[in-house]
Amino acid sequence: MNLITAPLRKANPITVLILGICSSLAVTAKLKPAIVMALSVTVVTALSNLVISLIRKGIPSKIRIIVQLIVVATLVILVDQFLKAFMYDVSKQLSVFVGLIITNCIVMGRLEAFAMSHAPWESFLDGIGNGLGYGLILVIVAFFRDLFGSGTLLGYQVIPQGLYDFGYVNNGLMILPPMALIIIGIIIWLQKPEEEK
Amino acid sequence: MSDRYIFRYIIILVAIVSVLLSAAAMWLQPYQKRNQLNEQRINILKAAGITGVDNKNAEQLFEQHCTGKRDGDMPLYIIDNQTTVIPMRGNGLWGPIWGYIGVASDGKTVVGAVFDHKSETPGLGAEITTENYQNQYKGKHLLKKDDTVTVEVDAIAGATRTSKGVEDMIEQTLKLYLPYFEGNE
Repeated sequence: MNLITAPLRKANPITVLILGICSSLAVTAKLKPAIVMALSVTVVTALSNLVISLIRKGIPSKIRIIVQLIVVATLVILVDQFLKAFMYDVSKQLSVFVGLIITNCIVMGRLEAFAMSHAPWESFLDGIGNGLGYGLILVIVAFFRDLFGSGTLLGYQVIPQGLYDFGYVNNGLMILPPMALIIIGIIIWLQKPEEEK
Repeated sequence: MSDRYIFRYIIILVAIVSVLLSAAAMWLQPYQKRNQLNEQRINILKAAGITGVDNKNAEQLFEQHCTGKRDGDMPLYIIDNQTTVIPMRGNGLWGPIWGYIGVASDGKTVVGAVFDHKSETPGLGAEITTENYQNQYKGKHLLKKDDTVTVEVDAIAGATRTSKGVEDMIEQTLKLYLPYFEGNE
């Protein structure tokens, strides 16, 4: 159980290990793509961890990164094809970012650091945990950016028209990537004292 | 581990992976094709002012409403014998943008417009896909200036390049169709 809960806070891939920052800046302008991205990454990290762990004893260590890359790339292509076939509108919103899961440092990081040296079931849980830990931060960041940047959540108008009539304006900076970095920075800052205890 | 083992390992791995991927692609392709076709149908109908079409009823409704079609260099779709829907292609800030514009039988009034994009910035350029932006086009008149045509709408704040791209796309496309509309008058 610890394998799943630890990456949510104590060993969070984004705020503690500082991995996967690039995609968390890119897909968090709106909440819905962020959620689908989080699920896709969870599926990929869990399954790639599982597969690599299953074959870890046979992988020649000289080419292990290549083998890991092949497994990850295959899974990402499968996820991408699935989304295109069954969740077409979402796959359009995520566009190129699904393909970029391949380059997400979390996936390869977990393969190297965990799956290569642990049993399949544990690796699978570790993958799920890290995917969710990544997803958690994504959703938090996307929540604030969506809310203050566009006044919407999941496509629904949340900030009432009345406020706009009083002169409230959406914060355009929220939509741009730098603000995502600042929000992630704030989360890390809030988390820091807890870590030191 | 010997080099021979490494070679054998990687060849077998790649073989398995390629079989897996081809199988998945073949299995999923019909679904993906249908999604793309339906999306096109939904967009064409939307540009002609018919909303509430989704992936499930797109094919049926399209057959019902589409009364004429022309392929070739200047493709167009006639919806309900009234609206002419014209496909458009252009360039946004990061990549291609495209869309459909529906023009009423008077050859002047815009019935509706739909836009889509490959990789515009979410929250900025990507806003061209929202109702808010697209609804601006409804009821606007095509403005003829010399031999070009424009439609004047508000650009998206913060997405000047994408807005300009949409403007250029409409201008470039409709210019070609001018003779067609004038013939209609």
